[in-house]
Amino acid sequence: MSTPVTIVDDSSLSRKLIIKALPPDWNVEVTQASNGVEALDACRAGKAHVMFLDLTMPVMDGYEVLEHLKREGLNSFVIVVSADIQPKAQERVRSMGAIAFLKKPVSTEQVAKVLKDYGIL
Amino acid sequence: MSIAPLTTDQSDALQEVVNIAMGQAGDRLARTLDVFVELSVPRIRLVHVSEIVKTVRAMVNDREAITAVRQSFYDHLRGEAIVLFGASGCLDLAVLMGYATDLDALGEQELLLDVGNILIGACISGIGAQLQADISFYPPSIMAEYASLDRVLVPENLAWEYSLLVEVNFTLENSNFKSHLLILMAEEGIESLRESLERLMAAV
Repeated sequence: MSTPVTIVDDSSLSRKLIIKALPPDWNVEVTQASNGVEALDACRAGKAHVMFLDLTMPVMDGYEVLEHLKREGLNSFVIVVSADIQPKAQERVRSMGAIAFLKKPVSTEQVAKVLKDYGIL
Repeated sequence: MSIAPLTTDQSDALQEVVNIAMGQAGDRLARTLDVFVELSVPRIRLVHVSEIVKTVRAMVNDREAITAVRQSFYDHLRGEAIVLFGASGCLDLAVLMGYATDLDALGEQELLLDVGNILIGACISGIGAQLQADISFYPPSIMAEYASLDRVLVPENLAWEYSLLVEVNFTLENSNFKSHLLILMAEEGIESLRESLERLMAAV
């Protein structure tokens, strides 16, 4: 069975780069979202067992997505993929429930390691 | 002479490249000051020199006096970067940097040159690294002190007709400090940028 994965980023280039970095042996069904509102919709529709989440986005940013997920009790393995690499940004998203923080641009090795650590791959 | 704006794809790619570069610049600033830096979504516009003040004023959106640091870059990418510092945030910045609060004019200039250089250097180098473009810098200089925006950006002093304007801003949590980084790339600079962006997209 394929894993539902949602890629959330306002940049289509960035979404392409993340999709390209997904491990080739991982069977996935990819949904793309260009802001936090679309990400939550995908999650509510069961399309985000794993979510790759950007932080800086228009309409609704990544921090707000993490808050909503918690408040609504939505379950998703959230991997933050961010250009904002400050130590405090990393601490913040981890404390808000993200399982990992990856710095842009991401590599397949980094993604595979996180997925294996959490038994997803 | 008119200039074709970036295509939607080129603009999207540039926004992402700038986003990553400003993340690196924000990280440098955050580590230097030990504070949380709030980053903005980069804004990209093609502007005529006669519109520059109006366009930037709409982005900066306040009437306070500005001190500006300017630094030019050249080689594979060419243009200039300008950091606009709002006057009220300078004292907060001095405290965070561990300077005396009764900073004299010269001390304040030095402080803003340092911080301007950190932001411009990290941001422009970050863009160059992603686009595999070599970039060299001229030294930074103070462009204006405690001046209004139309005294900072004087069309007669800008040596271009059309320019690509990229704006990002950095604010510090729990502080009055706010700075805007403007990157201006003129006619021939836009063409080499366009080529670099196309190469990047072709590689994805």
